[in-house]
Amino acid sequence: MLEVSGLNVKYGDAQVLWDMSIKVGAGEVVAVMGPNGSGKSTLLKAICGLVAIHSGQIKFEGKDISSMPAHNMTSIGMSLVLERRRLFPSMTVMENVMLGAYAKHARDKTKERLAWVEELFPIIRERRDQIASRMSGGEQQMVAIARGLMSGPRLLLMDEPFLGLSPKMVSAIVTLVQAINKRGIAVLFNEQNVQLSFGNAHRGYLLESGRVVLEGAGLEMLQNETVKRVYLGSH
Amino acid sequence: MPISLLFEQILNGIVLGSMYALMGGGLALIYGTMRILNFAHGEFFMLGGFFVFFLFAGAHITPFLAVPIAVLAAAAIAAGIQRSTLAILQRRDGWLFATIAATLGISIILQNVALLLWGERFQSVPYYIEGTLAVGDIRMAYQRLLILAVALCSLALVGLVLRYTRFGLAVRATAQDQEAAKVMGISTERINTATFAMGAGLAALAATMLAPLIAVNPWMGLPLLLKAFVVVVLGGLGSFKGAILGGILLGVIEAVGMSMTSAEWRDVISYSVLIAVIWLRPWGLFGVKER
Ligand SMILES: Nc1ncnc2c1ncn2[C@@H]1O[C@H](COP(=O)(O)OP(=O)(O)OP(=O)(O)O)[C@@H](O)[C@H]1O
Ligand SMILES: [Mg+2]
Repeated sequence: MLEVSGLNVKYGDAQVLWDMSIKVGAGEVVAVMGPNGSGKSTLLKAICGLVAIHSGQIKFEGKDISSMPAHNMTSIGMSLVLERRRLFPSMTVMENVMLGAYAKHARDKTKERLAWVEELFPIIRERRDQIASRMSGGEQQMVAIARGLMSGPRLLLMDEPFLGLSPKMVSAIVTLVQAINKRGIAVLFNEQNVQLSFGNAHRGYLLESGRVVLEGAGLEMLQNETVKRVYLGSH
Repeated sequence: MPISLLFEQILNGIVLGSMYALMGGGLALIYGTMRILNFAHGEFFMLGGFFVFFLFAGAHITPFLAVPIAVLAAAAIAAGIQRSTLAILQRRDGWLFATIAATLGISIILQNVALLLWGERFQSVPYYIEGTLAVGDIRMAYQRLLILAVALCSLALVGLVLRYTRFGLAVRATAQDQEAAKVMGISTERINTATFAMGAGLAALAATMLAPLIAVNPWMGLPLLLKAFVVVVLGGLGSFKGAILGGILLGVIEAVGMSMTSAEWRDVISYSVLIAVIWLRPWGLFGVKER
């Protein structure tokens, strides 16, 4: 459903992604793992059109979207939950969630989607009038994911959804991601922790300084000697 | 000072303050949405003044039409300028300083274009309505009451649009986080253009209202621009509501201060207020400390 091939991205003269190719199949959960500064966020932003690509191709459901502006992404069936949640800080929970359904095509189905999202995230109904910035990190992450679902995506991209959350919140979000995936929504997410990324994905990619250095099924990646040695610190 | 005179001064202050509020509100809207300090704001005010001069004083078109046409024309010009300069700069990295230089440049160009096209003569526009309202000892020209009514209605209208419409939601989202707004499917570039035009339109509206009281000329924007900066700092950078309250407050402080000193003190008074606020409450009178 998503095919990135030969992607190169530069910020000015500094190249941060090198000849990157990744795929997400329909209904799949795919993890991209890599240390700080390895280019995870840049990859997701390039897919969404938030940063310009230097060369390479991005295809979504067979269509070339390499040069599509970011604000059209939700209308073709893709949605991004940005790193550190990025809720609109002085808006209420409900305003944030409703902005997820801003795109024209999503407007007509707002009601059903809201009902579905509220069922997945009861907190949205409970806190509907709370100002977003006054919520805890975990609660904000839930609102951010809910907001990302309001456009009815077939592919949900998430940039470090577990960042800064308590272990309890992390497992709550993991469960939610599985529930979302059960509805047939494909998920591509970034994560720095080996267990959290490859342990919760069908397939995974390992990034190092802007290149894919390893790819494979999630469990295989967990067992991989390099991954174990470098990232799990075992011998 | 007799109490009725003081009251009249306060009322005059509110009228003038409502103009500062229009100017400052537009500036705050632009700053709040795209973080651009618009040094050309005074020139959109000036365009509004000239347009209403030609339409109303020149072509004798009724103010009911002349004012909206003048405002829309100034807003359309602002939109075109934003598209062809600021929008392009904003796509680049490190654009912040470039936009300051750009709006200064736009300001100078517009002044000179006005000077070339319309000359340096000070033009006057007649009152839209004649007559004076007298209640007891208090007297107030209808023109001033009209100014106040138009300013308050239009500011309320903008406030309602921002609060309750889809467009307003998109403007607020863009103001809070441009990148996140894009991800929601909002064309932030279009929002930026529309907001810039709206802010410039408010400045032009202020000029159409003030034109009968002050002379229309290529440099008429500068004093109002400076007042608008004071107002925006008073209200908390980028806050539309704050700018409205700040504008009216500044008008009243000026008017009362002047009645206790003399007219030459007006600018001293407003800059003293500015300095005091920057010193004591840099986040503005109505802003909150942390953003
Ligand atoms: N806007 C930018 N301008 C210039 N360089 C950037 C920009 N954003 C990121 N970079 C650089 O690109 C590289 C990749 O950054 P990116 O944010 O994609 O990494 P990441 O894997 O998401 O890191 P983290 O785990 O810290 O979120 C880094 O070296 C970073 O410094
Ligand atoms: Mg990142």
